[in-house]
Amino acid sequence: MKIPVDVSVVHEGERIRKEDMYVELGGPKVSSKGELVRVRKPGEIRDGNVEVEGPDFDKLKEGGRYPFAIFVEVAGKNVEEDLEAVIERRIHDYCNYVEGFMHLNQRYDIWCRLSKKSYERGFNTLKYLGQALITLFKAELPIIEKIQVTFITDEKKVEAFVNDARKIYEARDARARALSEEEVDTFYGCVLCQSFAPTHFCVITPDRISLCGSINWFDGRAAARVDPKGPNFAIPKGELIDEVNGEYSGVNKVVKERSQGETERFYLHSIFNFPHTSCGCFESIAFYIPEVDGVGVVHRDYIGETVLGVPFSTLATQTGGGKQVEGFLGMAIEYMRSPKFLQADGGWNRMVWLPKSVKERVIDDIPAELRDKIATEEDATDIAALKGFLKERGHPVVERWREVEAVEVPELEVMPVGAPGGIKIILQNAKIHAEKVIIKKIK
Amino acid sequence: MDMGRVIAVSGKGGAGKTLLAALLVRKLVKTGHKSILAIDADPDSNLPDALGVFVESTIGDIREEFSVEQSRLPPGYSKDAWLESKVFEIMVETPSFDVLVMGRPEGPGCYCAVNHILRKIIDSMTGGYDYAIIDAEAGLEHLSRRTTQNVDDMIVVTNGSLSGFNTAERIKNLANELRIKFKHLYLVVNRANSSHEKLILKRVGSIGLEFAGGIPEDANVAEYNLLGKSLLELPDDSPAVKAMDEIMEKLSMQGGK
Ligand SMILES: Nc1ncnc2c1ncn2[C@@H]1O[C@H](COP(=O)(O)OP(=O)(O)OP(=O)(O)O)[C@@H](O)[C@H]1O
Ligand code: SF4
Ligand SMILES: [Mg+2]
Repeated sequence: MKIPVDVSVVHEGERIRKEDMYVELGGPKVSSKGELVRVRKPGEIRDGNVEVEGPDFDKLKEGGRYPFAIFVEVAGKNVEEDLEAVIERRIHDYCNYVEGFMHLNQRYDIWCRLSKKSYERGFNTLKYLGQALITLFKAELPIIEKIQVTFITDEKKVEAFVNDARKIYEARDARARALSEEEVDTFYGCVLCQSFAPTHFCVITPDRISLCGSINWFDGRAAARVDPKGPNFAIPKGELIDEVNGEYSGVNKVVKERSQGETERFYLHSIFNFPHTSCGCFESIAFYIPEVDGVGVVHRDYIGETVLGVPFSTLATQTGGGKQVEGFLGMAIEYMRSPKFLQADGGWNRMVWLPKSVKERVIDDIPAELRDKIATEEDATDIAALKGFLKERGHPVVERWREVEAVEVPELEVMPVGAPGGIKIILQNAKIHAEKVIIKKIK
Repeated sequence: MDMGRVIAVSGKGGAGKTLLAALLVRKLVKTGHKSILAIDADPDSNLPDALGVFVESTIGDIREEFSVEQSRLPPGYSKDAWLESKVFEIMVETPSFDVLVMGRPEGPGCYCAVNHILRKIIDSMTGGYDYAIIDAEAGLEHLSRRTTQNVDDMIVVTNGSLSGFNTAERIKNLANELRIKFKHLYLVVNRANSSHEKLILKRVGSIGLEFAGGIPEDANVAEYNLLGKSLLELPDDSPAVKAMDEIMEKLSMQGGK
């Protein structure tokens, strides 16, 4: 069976307009659609076989939209279940290599079109598409030894298929969420924001999403693979130097290179000593509150003043710019869900204040015994009230207050780090009592 | 795949950008082209009205939706693919051309990552059409932020006044500063008084833009605008439409295929 159209990478990005389409398969206007790759045992596969369940192209009405599923089963000595998602992503690429066939999106959201032109040239059965996929998969991923493809257009069957597939996607996502820094040897970096914060770059690990919240470890991996010269790149993690702080030799090496010498090392999971730098893109800021020896969080959408008496924007000026600023960390809200969330500083046990809307978003990730001990703007809008609240609720930070006697300092002026003639003040294990912390712009 | 030609129309507010963009689309459609993308990159957009289509959502809407959705997308779900599909979804497809609206500028959040992805998607998409016509704003915001990147030619529309020429010159300098390289930088004079033609030609020469012709005052244009009628329906003998023949020729865009 010779495929009547050209199959090659040059057709990638080819757009099939509504006017030129023969049929649409899946897409936003069709409820049942999906695609899935499963790894099988070699004996379970009829190598090279293509099945079509439901009406084929020549039985579909021109101009119509139909339910659609693509099911690819593969086998091979080195093909493990872990690779299913990666192989599945290739369905998109390979379908688009087919002249006159367009494939968009993924999983339960696929959207395909066949062009009139290709149909008229004889591309009148899904068998051709299957054949193209099989040839491409075997040529480009030689670890695949056996492969069979099933297309489904029968509505009921597509529906049942997608229901089953959802369980597999969910299991895959659960595994992905559980993935930790220990299990991988590569992290990813992003330098997109260097255009305005030239010394900043993001380190992205399975336990640490980028501070803008847009790039997780999987996104970083995909981007670095597709476009190795682009803004995302692989970071061999190297030796684990400090487990609690999250310090890695490989990360430090890249930190020096990519920060243009500005920064020497990163603690990936601490707000103290050598915190991750921040560009300006963070979804939220974690900030140290010396008066209670705890950490507060504020997000970009929060209107009004934080418990420090200043709004998000003031803290953002302090935090951003690509400089390492102790006690301030730009981060994604999603990072609060990480099991390593500020683990060096005590994690949730150190968290004392956050806006109500953020608290609601991450409530399931806050240890149950701490949920009513962390204040929001409804509980405290200044330090005195926060202190009272924490004491009354018995927050774990209260224990720390007794550890060291308070040091009385009438006034302490903290210069912003990096300002000309600025000094670096490291408040480690110090207990300084201040009535008020005033952050002012220096004229 | 052959890369199509991407043409941006710029000029001061009210200069006639939307008119020219719509007339370009009209001419391409009339000459039998089928692969045309019209992009409205002006925040107070009216290109869809001029083309007689209704556009529900914009790239700006996708950007905002993404900032909310990004944390809800499953870890293994490709954000690029999600965004690409959204861009296709908001596109209005008519029998002879497609329309994409960039929409409002960014809010206070961070859009580095999403803009980077959208840029790749839009660039690859515009490349998939024979012609992409961009109704751009005078400040070249989208070009400076590289939301649209691979523009081949830029046409500056201006009226015949001194300030109009100054704007044209500013746009040219801005493009230089932004190091945007155009294959051609054209000038079209709109609503010029034909008795000043000589003087106008002299000025055009002095600012170093290629003169692509003039569009006369056209009562139909004003009327269609007021009635909210599509400029694609302007009669063939309407003065502005007739002027397009010469402009198309200067732009080497004549003839269908
Ligand atoms: N040649 C013409 N003859 C008659 N009316 C015209 C002509 N050119 C433009 N107009 C009118 O001038 C107004 C502005 O034109 P147009 O919308 O094309 O300009 P624009 O540069 O896109 O403006 P904006 O910056 O507001 O988007 C419209 O009401 C239009 O009908
Ligand atoms: S904030 Fe986001 S876009 Fe900016 S460098 Fe980090 S990951 Fe890249
Ligand atoms: Mg306009």
